[in-house]
Amino acid sequence: MRLVTGQGYWSPLVWLALAAGVAFFGWLFWRLGRRTYKAGTDQDAPFLSGEAAPERAHVGGQHLYWGFLQGLRPTLEALRVFHSGFLGDYVTWTVVVVAVALLVVMLT
Amino acid sequence: MNIGIHLPILAIAVPLLGAFALPIFAKVHKRLRDMWAAAVGAFTCAMVIALAIQVLSTGVVVYTLGAASPTQAVTQGGFPIRIVLTVDGMSAFMGLISALVGLASLIYAFQFLKEDQGKTLAMTLFFLLWAGMLGMEYTGDMFNFFVFLEVTSIAACALIGYRTWESRPAEAAFKTMALYTLGGLLVLLAVAILYGQYGALNIAYLSSRIRGSQLDKIALGLLLGGLLMKAGAVPAHMWAPDAYGEAPAQAAMVLVANTQASLYGLWRVLFTLFGGALAAPAVGWLVVSLGTLTLLVAVLMAILQRDLGRLIAYGAVSQIGYMLLGVGVGLVALASRPDFGLVAMQGGIFHMLNDAATVGLLMLAAGVVRRATGTKDLTALGGLGHDLKWTGGFFFLGALALAGVPPFNGFASKLLIYESSFRLSPLLTAIGVLGSILLLAVFARAFQGVFLGPRLRAAQSPPVGMLVAMGLLAAVILAMGLAPGFFVEHLVTPAARALWEGRDLYLAAVLGG
Repeated sequence: MRLVTGQGYWSPLVWLALAAGVAFFGWLFWRLGRRTYKAGTDQDAPFLSGEAAPERAHVGGQHLYWGFLQGLRPTLEALRVFHSGFLGDYVTWTVVVVAVALLVVMLT
Repeated sequence: MNIGIHLPILAIAVPLLGAFALPIFAKVHKRLRDMWAAAVGAFTCAMVIALAIQVLSTGVVVYTLGAASPTQAVTQGGFPIRIVLTVDGMSAFMGLISALVGLASLIYAFQFLKEDQGKTLAMTLFFLLWAGMLGMEYTGDMFNFFVFLEVTSIAACALIGYRTWESRPAEAAFKTMALYTLGGLLVLLAVAILYGQYGALNIAYLSSRIRGSQLDKIALGLLLGGLLMKAGAVPAHMWAPDAYGEAPAQAAMVLVANTQASLYGLWRVLFTLFGGALAAPAVGWLVVSLGTLTLLVAVLMAILQRDLGRLIAYGAVSQIGYMLLGVGVGLVALASRPDFGLVAMQGGIFHMLNDAATVGLLMLAAGVVRRATGTKDLTALGGLGHDLKWTGGFFFLGALALAGVPPFNGFASKLLIYESSFRLSPLLTAIGVLGSILLLAVFARAFQGVFLGPRLRAAQSPPVGMLVAMGLLAAVILAMGLAPGFFVEHLVTPAARALWEGRDLYLAAVLGG
């Protein structure tokens, strides 16, 4: 079961045992909390800065990491432009890879 | 007849015959076609597994076509003139990947494909692609490698674009066809250069003769360029998201395995054909550089995607980067042979198997989503976990495994890559870990967007056959995650050793002595 990595080893079963231990202590900690939660009441409604939540509110996948994406916008935009979708660009970059490979091999 | 001797050729010929006979059976009766497809699929898998057991227990298996005896690869003058199939640990390992992916794809296709939407055509093309992949992996001849490469190219492009009633698949198929043609021509030119010099096409014979002339180097450069493009290495990867994203789910997962067959071709060229002498370490650094670039660029592009299919496609391309990184580190280390070189190759090769299972599972789950909702647009999806509980669970498992979260299989292979690449340069490990973190973020976003939240629309559960196909891959993922040592010891290490130090055995098996 153990995977020897050269520098040590990895044992998923040991990891699972540790994870189970952490989960058990987490459960014990949770048991110490207040028991005032009632399912199906307003406690289940999402909190949107005090605003009334719209019916069937769903934060779609495209909204996650909005701030992260804004921070990386220049880099991501450059990458998006790089992936132009034009076949000519695809061929050009393949030729570039071939040229670099030939250069590296010939200079070896 | 001792069928065991003929396993290499039967593993290729059976799916090939299956492909050409399938439309005839379909004309007779659809049920007969399905029974034929199931029989061909089961028989092919059984032969691939039996061949792998034979190779792992007895060593390299050589099969010569047209000779008095299949093991008689060379003529009396010591010249290998016939077509030879040579199956060593690496070939057998790749065959097992193809068998796993092919079996899951076939089980899924029975109920995923619709009769009025080219089911017979898609299944025919699948068997053709399967035969081509196995041919690439088992051949011991450079020209036949090119032929099988072309077989896979034609079948793959047709599989991507056969749904002519939609516009985007046709465009993706055209782009892929143009790039595959370019890659195929590069490989053909390299094969022609080698044949012009040595008058032979047998890999073992060529390997024994190559001394590093200028023409040899040009051939190596052309092979590198062509195969790196077919493997989807950045910046020659742009066809891959188009192809994976637009192909139907059961075909997309086979396209990923086909990409890995091209990677196998690259490893075979670098380690066996050129023996590492020409390849290391400069070419190793080239492979490492392209690997790190691939994993980082692809995962950043995955963040931007709003289409679930393209998001998974970029995730799949990023995993090619890890494979290039692992085996590239091994190639750099080949000359001095430090201990971490073999570990790096084990990581890169193990990741090929992990990638085939996890990306395949994600693609099949995306196919269920598309089938249930008619869209893969992340902005329009949500809450499907209420109705597609099993599919959501499979997607979650595949996402965690692909991102390398312990204790799943992706973590085990990435750990091997991280530890060994750290010995070469800590920067490589840092980039690899960053890629995994970003990939986890990407798939957390996809899972949240598709399966969590309130029920936005009712979705019909997939048929049992599709769940069985996903369950098969999930079981393999869990098994490899819980017992990585078993898989690495019995499957991955023989494959890595076949490349790392098995060249002499490969040559001796074909040429004798």
